[in-house]
Amino acid sequence: MLGTALTTQTTGSFFGKKRADLKKRIWQHRWLYLFILPCVIWLLVFCYYPMYGATLAFKDYSYKLGILNSPWAGLKHFRAFIYSPDFWRVIKNTLVISGLKLLFSFPAPILLALLLNEVQAVRFKRVVQTFSYLPNFVSWVVVVSLMNVIFSPYGGVINDLRKNAGLETIFFMGSREYFYPMVILSDIWKNAGWGTIIYLSALTSVSPELYEAAAIDGAGRLKSTFYVTLPCIKGTIGIMFINAVGGLLNAGFDQILLLQQPDNQLISDILDTFVLKTGLSQGRFEYATAIGLFKSVLSLVLMTLANEVSKRTMEVSIF
Amino acid sequence: MIIHQTRSRKIFVVFNYIFMTLFAFVTFYPFWYVFIASLNTGRDFARGGVYLIPRDFTLENYSLAFQNSQIFKSLTISVGRTVLGVILGLLFTALMAYALCIKTLPGRSFFSFFFYFTTIFGGGMVPYYILLRDLGLNKSFWLYVIPSIYNFFNFLIMRTSFAAVPLEIRESAQLDGASEPRILFQLYVPLSTAILATVALFIGVGHWNDWFTGAYYQSRVDLYPAATLLQKLLNEASSTIKVGQETASTGSLQSYTSQSLQMAFVMILTMPIVVVYPFLQKYYVKGIMIGSIKG
Repeated sequence: MLGTALTTQTTGSFFGKKRADLKKRIWQHRWLYLFILPCVIWLLVFCYYPMYGATLAFKDYSYKLGILNSPWAGLKHFRAFIYSPDFWRVIKNTLVISGLKLLFSFPAPILLALLLNEVQAVRFKRVVQTFSYLPNFVSWVVVVSLMNVIFSPYGGVINDLRKNAGLETIFFMGSREYFYPMVILSDIWKNAGWGTIIYLSALTSVSPELYEAAAIDGAGRLKSTFYVTLPCIKGTIGIMFINAVGGLLNAGFDQILLLQQPDNQLISDILDTFVLKTGLSQGRFEYATAIGLFKSVLSLVLMTLANEVSKRTMEVSIF
Repeated sequence: MIIHQTRSRKIFVVFNYIFMTLFAFVTFYPFWYVFIASLNTGRDFARGGVYLIPRDFTLENYSLAFQNSQIFKSLTISVGRTVLGVILGLLFTALMAYALCIKTLPGRSFFSFFFYFTTIFGGGMVPYYILLRDLGLNKSFWLYVIPSIYNFFNFLIMRTSFAAVPLEIRESAQLDGASEPRILFQLYVPLSTAILATVALFIGVGHWNDWFTGAYYQSRVDLYPAATLLQKLLNEASSTIKVGQETASTGSLQSYTSQSLQMAFVMILTMPIVVVYPFLQKYYVKGIMIGSIKG
């Protein structure tokens, strides 16, 4: 998505011009290089240096020696992770959560956009949209606070209503069997509304003539959704899908971290939270860096794969 | 376009309106519920049954929240980092975006890629933490400002907007002898105020909401921003709920509970966003379209 934006803007190369000409042009643009300079320094310090720091995964870190001078340790930490009992558990949790999100949260904004698109009353539509974007602007901390109150077993509205209906009180936020449903529901609640923006704009570009033609051919509303609307927005869906697959190993870091409780830790530890726990909380720096690196590389591979698949099947790609 | 209204179509339309109304309600109600919780005495609220309006109205929760020195301090940190973050972020992003929207700049695509690459690959949390520690940022307020000064997405929005300014404007200004900073600040910036406002809001909301930086990279508790403090309170949530229960059943004299205080705090954190955002929604939408739909 961002990649296309990038490549559409790149202009022709400057090779083949004379060197003197190039020097002159660089001098002409000296102000602009000055504008770029802080960003380049910032990128080197805060992005590229930590990338170099990831070599920590192959080292035995000593605080005194620093990352650069610490001795090499080969693949020790990767091996430790892959053979540890946590490995399959964490990978499985990550993929289960991402898989559920791909299954439920990914189609939600598409469905919502299709339904919103059918609303003819402009004002009503705008009000619904305004409400639906709101949760996107608050942080997960606030969302989890809201959930804590609403699902509280002590006076929370859901359990209160259950009690009035003669049902038993449920500890939604604390018990293991409700963890995945809570993750999915809150994910849809927070993100589906905002997610419609992209699909709604794709829908406006569908030509009304196509619908008219479909209607003349006797297609009903449902049929024209399947044979006109969806094919027209499949490029957008494809790009969103590549992004979703590329982020498969993320599984929603903030959200999981905040919904994690002692009781559900067995099924809620994902790669990112595990890096945080082993690295920053337990101080096992090299081990955590190895896990993080493992994840970054795998994500890159996934992204490339998803891109290829989408290029072949839907003729859209981001690189 | 005329589509004749069949019976099934009519049923669909009715259901669609009902569904959309329900959807809007489900989205908004949690905010409303916590709002009334914050305006109700905590002890009374814990008894349950308060759904639509406060039953035992009070402003006590808010006054206690503001009197709490930790909460107050965290709010000043949040305001400070948001204001500084917006000013510096906007300034430096504008410089970068302006330079890279000039198509004749040698090395332009290299710099773009140099920036873009950091969005697809990173060194991970631990090396980043070690860096922050080595720079001494983990004990400083600047932790919240400097490491988040640039953001590729915001840069992209701004560059796209600057690139839409007609080239002749820059050329004729150059012929008149205007320097690059002058062209940027006196021509490009005034022509892009809507987008600058959008980016300012993106940055501002990001700062206001960021709890993670404080929670995991900040080692001084007195420098926690409000969002981080709320997260730390959440971690004690199980105990919070217990306090709510105890006070409800034992009937102690204190009318607030730690939960009701927390609700006031949540509202203090949410209110600025709820108030500001409906006015700026259209800019946001525009911004997100520029940033993502270009392909």
